Amino acid sequence: MIEVEQLTKRYGTFTAVDHITFKAKKGEVVGLLGPNGAGKTTTMRMLTGFMPPTEGTASIAGYDVYDDSMEARRNVGYMPERIPVYPDMTVKAYVMFWARLRGARRPASRVDEVLQRVQLHDRRSTLIRHLSKGMRQRLGLAQALVHDPPVVILDEPTIGIDPKQVIEVRETVRRLGEQHTVLFSTHILSEAEQVCDRVLIIDKGHIIAQGKPGELRDKLQSGMTLHVQIGGANDASIRKLLESISGIAHLEKQRAGWLIKTQRGADPRAELSSRIAKVGYTLLEMRQEGASLESIFLELVGKDEDGA
Amino acid sequence: MSTWIVLRREIAHYAGSPFAYLIGFAFLFFTGLVFADELQTSAVAQTITNPAVIPSVLSLLMVFIAPLLTMRLLAEERREGTLELLLTAPVTDGAIVIGKFLGAWSYYTVLLLITLAYQIVLSVVTLPDFGHTIGAYIGIWLYGGATLAVGLFFSSLTENQIVAAFFSLITLLILWLADGAGRVIGNIDIARIVRVLSLQAHYAPSFGFGLLKMEDIAFFLGIIFIMLFLSIRALESTRWR
Repeated sequence: MIEVEQLTKRYGTFTAVDHITFKAKKGEVVGLLGPNGAGKTTTMRMLTGFMPPTEGTASIAGYDVYDDSMEARRNVGYMPERIPVYPDMTVKAYVMFWARLRGARRPASRVDEVLQRVQLHDRRSTLIRHLSKGMRQRLGLAQALVHDPPVVILDEPTIGIDPKQVIEVRETVRRLGEQHTVLFSTHILSEAEQVCDRVLIIDKGHIIAQGKPGELRDKLQSGMTLHVQIGGANDASIRKLLESISGIAHLEKQRAGWLIKTQRGADPRAELSSRIAKVGYTLLEMRQEGASLESIFLELVGKDEDGA
Repeated sequence: MSTWIVLRREIAHYAGSPFAYLIGFAFLFFTGLVFADELQTSAVAQTITNPAVIPSVLSLLMVFIAPLLTMRLLAEERREGTLELLLTAPVTDGAIVIGKFLGAWSYYTVLLLITLAYQIVLSVVTLPDFGHTIGAYIGIWLYGGATLAVGLFFSSLTENQIVAAFFSLITLLILWLADGAGRVIGNIDIARIVRVLSLQAHYAPSFGFGLLKMEDIAFFLGIIFIMLFLSIRALESTRWR
């Protein structure tokens, strides 16, 4: 549904998006994850036909976004980060305007349908200027869906709305995946983890990692993080014992117990417990802390920063 | 088709905007004032009322009204971010610009048609030269279209409506004054060029007397065409920034 090949955008000497390549299949929810200024919006703007790519190609539903721009645009629904509205229009007139402009079939019934779907139907005669932020967000979604496009592109759909609405929007995006191919951007990792079938981590215009959220975690996790609490001895002798165990990369005393980071692929848990028992200390607690996508992300993005 | 959709939204906007009504009020107030004055003067002096008095006063009035009617057309879309959606809709940039222009021109046309009521009043009092009236109205209709196109162009360049209105006002004022400037400039060649660009010089000596001259019609249509073309280019340039 979405095919992006070596897509590049340069502004003068600044490269905002640098040769990125990815695909999104029908019915897939793909998250573009990255810090602000990573090139997410620029990528989306090229896909929606707002700006032409400097290099590379992209196609929506088989239509090239540059050579076949009108057809590509017909097949995509777009919700920009800041919801663009005409404050003096009513909700219904606004959605109707976009329905007509995007060539929706039977626009009147489509407008009704989509307003029901985003729960704005009872507000259809309200002027947009009187809508709350969360309602505007749903209105933005309505205009993106009104022509029933196979591809939906949402730029930071959960920014600036309250937590309850965030959950609603995430749920909506999830459900969109049943009928549409969804590309959405976020800088919140847990969000990408919850909502996406696949995550592309993008930083400084490059895709630095991609995969299913679970896979990404397994692939990129550098080692285990263990939290252990040991009784029956003072800190110094415990430290001495722990340091003698192989496969431990990093050791840190915390308020209660120790934080251990293992080397990649190493699993010192069995050795740890048997050694503690052997010297007569007590193992009070040992648990593995699952590395979140968040820490992986920070590691990836941070690494890049050090290299620069 | 998409031009029509854009045009329809513009008309709906003018019909529902208090500001548009305010401009309409000013438009009709000043034309009415001038008409009443002209009627009274000609009655006292026992002369024939000039049937082109309203179009003539509009040739000045539009210098001020056109920037106000057009300043929001594209500048507001740019500021509100709706331009981004328009530019990602399956619509050509030309359709957007032409739709916007026709919207403004339609609103102006409606105001102009309302002033025909004065002509009815006039025909009750005296028997005006209808040829003169029709010629002047056609002229001022084209003249107004040209001033609106200039306003639209400046609206396409900025997201600030005040800036757009200011620059179109200055430009129109220069074009309006060019007639007088042409008369006082010593160098005959420069004077000719300046007068060629003058709005007044293409209206007053021909349409003002009810004459339809091909070159004057071409002049106003030419300004409309060039300004729309430049606006489309300005819109396109948004994509490359």
